[in-house]
Amino acid sequence: MSDIKYLPGKEPHANEHRLIFKNVDREGWDTSIETYLKDGGYEMLKKGLGMEPKAVTEQVKTSGLRGRGGAGFPTGIKWGFIPPNNTKPVYLICNGDESEPGTFKDRYIVHQDPHQLIEGMVISAYAVGAHTAYIYIREEFPEAAITLEKAIAEAKEKGFLGKDIQGSGFDLEIYVHRGAAAYICGEETGLIESLEGKRPYPRIKPPYFPAAMGLYMAPTIVNNVESLCHVVHILRMGGDEYVKLGTPRNSGTRILCVSGDVKNPGYFEVQVGKVTFRELLYDMCGGPKDGREFKAVIPGGSSSKILRCNESFKIGRGDDAKDLSFWDLPLDFDTLAAAGSMAGSGGVIVLDDSRRMSWVLNNITHFYAHESCGQCTPCREGSTWMKKVSDRIEGGKATPQDVETLEQIAYQIDGKTVCAFGEASAWPVEAMIDKFREELVSATSEDNDFKSAERKAQEEFMSAVNV
Amino acid sequence: MSSRIEVPKPQTIDRSRLTYVKGGRPLLVKVPHPAKVDRNQLNYLFSGDSEEVGGIDIPMPAKIDVSKLVYTFGDREIVAPKPAVIDRNTLVYLSTGGVIRAPKARRINREELEYLPKKLTIIEQNVHSPVTPGQVNFPPFEVTPELDKKADERIAQYPDDQSRSAVLPLLHEVQHKFGFISPESIEWVAGKLDIAAIKVLEVVSFYPGFRQKAPGKFHVRVCRTLSCAMGGSYELMEKLCEITEIDRSKEDGHKDTISVSPCGNYSVEFAECLASCGTAPVCLVNDDFHEGVTEEKAQALLDSYTS
Ligand SMILES: Cc1cc2nc3c(=O)[nH]c(=O)nc-3n(C[C@H](O)[C@H](O)[C@H](O)COP(=O)(O)O)c2cc1C
Ligand code: SF4
Ligand code: FES
Repeated sequence: MSDIKYLPGKEPHANEHRLIFKNVDREGWDTSIETYLKDGGYEMLKKGLGMEPKAVTEQVKTSGLRGRGGAGFPTGIKWGFIPPNNTKPVYLICNGDESEPGTFKDRYIVHQDPHQLIEGMVISAYAVGAHTAYIYIREEFPEAAITLEKAIAEAKEKGFLGKDIQGSGFDLEIYVHRGAAAYICGEETGLIESLEGKRPYPRIKPPYFPAAMGLYMAPTIVNNVESLCHVVHILRMGGDEYVKLGTPRNSGTRILCVSGDVKNPGYFEVQVGKVTFRELLYDMCGGPKDGREFKAVIPGGSSSKILRCNESFKIGRGDDAKDLSFWDLPLDFDTLAAAGSMAGSGGVIVLDDSRRMSWVLNNITHFYAHESCGQCTPCREGSTWMKKVSDRIEGGKATPQDVETLEQIAYQIDGKTVCAFGEASAWPVEAMIDKFREELVSATSEDNDFKSAERKAQEEFMSAVNV
Repeated sequence: MSSRIEVPKPQTIDRSRLTYVKGGRPLLVKVPHPAKVDRNQLNYLFSGDSEEVGGIDIPMPAKIDVSKLVYTFGDREIVAPKPAVIDRNTLVYLSTGGVIRAPKARRINREELEYLPKKLTIIEQNVHSPVTPGQVNFPPFEVTPELDKKADERIAQYPDDQSRSAVLPLLHEVQHKFGFISPESIEWVAGKLDIAAIKVLEVVSFYPGFRQKAPGKFHVRVCRTLSCAMGGSYELMEKLCEITEIDRSKEDGHKDTISVSPCGNYSVEFAECLASCGTAPVCLVNDDFHEGVTEEKAQALLDSYTS
C-alpha cells in the first residue's frame, strides 16, 4: 500500500491506519469501476460468494466488528438475529443518512469510493440471504445519489450485481432511496418507515426489531455505510487478523471526524482505542487555535455527553481500575462509555475557551427541537421546552431556577420515549448542565423572575415596614 | 270575431318570444290570432258550426290536430307541437309526441349571474403554497410523458405490492422539475401510487426536504448546526440576505422556512448539519455543495450563480 499517493495537503497522518479511507483523497483516483478493479476491487466479492453464507457471518463475528452508526452493536451478532425459520424475503439496508451533527465520514465513502460500499453490500447481502438491498441516502447528498446509481449500473454491467452474480447463483439488486432532510430517518426503524413511503415515526422495540420485523414486516438488516465497508476488509484480512487491529472488544479501525476549535479539523482513520484525546487533538489536529485553550469536547456526535478537558475519570473495574485524565482517554467504545459518554458515530466536536456554554447548549437544543418526529409526548414537548428555556438562558432572560427546570425536563425525556432520540436530545443537556452548571447559572439573574404587580407592591410594602 | 286561438298547454315554441309564466300555475301560452292559416294542413273534425274568419266562412272544428297546425305570425312561421307539460325542476317537456329535452336556459343574463367561489379541495386548503417571486423560474406543474416514465422507473424499485414506497422518489422528481410540491402534484403522486392524497400530503408536510412554495432560481441552504455556527454560518446567512435583499422575518421555523429575494433569483434557508462539519461553514446551492464559505466569500458565491 506504500505506493499509494494522496493529493497534496490531504496526506493521512502518521497515526492513521487506512482501510476504509484508503482511496479517499487518493491521487489519480475516481469513482469509476475500472479504477476500482485496477486496484484489486471486487476480489473479496468473489471470495465471499465462494464461501458458505454462514461462514461469512462467522468471519464477521470473529472480527468483532461493532456497528459504526452510533450504537456500536456487534454486526455479526445482529446478522444472526434473522429468525431461522423465516420464509419472507430478507432485506439489507445501508444507512447512509449521516445526519448526526459532528459526523462526516460516510460522505467521503459515498462520494469518492462507491464501489467499496457496493462490494461490502453484496457480501453482506449474501451472508444474510437478501436479494434486494436499499441504500438510504440523505437528501443533502444529491451528487452521491447520482454517483451511487452510476456505480450500481457499472457493477451490474460487469456482473457484480443482478442475476447470478459471478456465476454463483446468487441474485442481488441494489437501489438508491433518497431521504428528505429529516434527522430521525437515521434511526433504523424511522428509516424503514420512510422507505415504506411514510412519515419516519420510529417503531417501538420490542417487538419491531428490524432483524425480525423490518421493511414490509420482513427481516431486515440495517447497517451503517462504514460498517458495510468494513466487511470487505474483514474478508480480505480474515476475521482473526482483523480482530488484532484496535483493542480487545473494540477491534478494527474507525474514522474519527474532528470539527470545531482546532487548528486542523478533518477525518482520521485510526485503530479503535489506539489514539488518545491528547494525540488526536494535539498531534493530529495541531492543537487549539492560536491564543486559545481547549475547554470541552463532545466525543461522539452531538448526542453524546460532553466531556470537560480538565476532568479525570476512573476507568476499569476492581484492581484494573485506573484514574485517567481526559487527555489520556483512548477513543474506544468501552472507555468513553466508562467516562459517562459514548463513542457514538465518531464525530468529535471541540470547543475552546472562547465558547459560551449557554450558546452551545442553545444551538444543540434548537437542533433537537427541530428534528423530533413528534410521535411521543416527552420528546416532542420536552425538546421544545428545552429549546425555549435555553433561549431564555442564552438571551439573558433566565433565572437560576431555569437551569434546574431545564435539567428536570431533560431527565423526564431520557428513558421515556419510543426511540433513542429521547436520550440523544436529553444527554447533551444533562451533561452540559452537570459539567458547566456554574457557567450557565452565571448567565442568569434572580431579577428576571416574573413578578406580578401585586407581589411587587407587597414586597415594596414589606421592605418599607422593615426599615 | 274571435281574436285568439287558445292552444292547449305549453308547446315549443319560438324561444325568442316565449314567455315563461312562473309560479306553479299551469302554463298558458297565448298565441295571437294567425294572420294566415295554411288551410292545406288543417285537419278539421267538424262539429257542424262555422265561423267567418277573414271574410271566409270556415266550419268550426270540434278539435284541431295541433301538431299539424302552422301559425304564421306576420312573416314568421312556427310549428307548435302538441301540448306539453313542463316539469319545472328539470325543464323536460313531456309532450304527447314523445319527450323533448329543453335546453337549460334561453338566455343568460351575465350581469345577474352569481359566481360561487371555487371550492378548495382539502389538499389545496392544507398545502401552504403562496406565490413567491421565485415562481417565474419554474414551469407550472404538468404531467409530461418524461415525468411519467421516470415515475414508473422509480416505482419499479419496490416490490409490486409496495408502490407506496415510491412517494419520496416521486416527490423528488416533482420538486426537481417544478421547484416545489403543489396541490396538483400531490394529487398526481397519489393517483400514480393509488393511495389517498393525504398519505402524500403527510409526507410533504413532515420532511423539511420538501418545499410547498417556489424558492429562488438559486436556493442556498446554509448549515446552522454547532460546528458550522462556530465557523460563522449565522454571519454567512446575514451577509447573503444583505446582498440579495432577502427578508427572513416572515419565516416561522417549521412550516415556512424559505425566504426568497424580491428579484426571485435567490432564496435562503437554514439546514441542519450537512455532514461536513470539518470544513465549516458549509452550504448547498441547489445541488452543489460548497465548503468553507465564510462571510467574506458570500459575494463571490452569489456571483458564481447569476443566470
Ligand atoms: C436518533 C438517531 C439517529 C441515528 N442516525 C443515524 C445515522 O445518521 N446514520 C447511521 O448509520 N445510524 C444512525 N443511527 C443508528 C441506527 O439506528 C442504527 O443503529 C444503525 O444504522 C445500525 O448500523 P450499525 O450497526 O452498522 O451501526 C441513529 C440512531 C438514532 C437513535
Ligand atoms: S423519541 Fe422523539 S424522535 Fe423518537 S419516536 Fe419519540 S418523538 Fe419521535
Ligand atoms: S455542523 Fe454544519 S456540516 Fe455539520
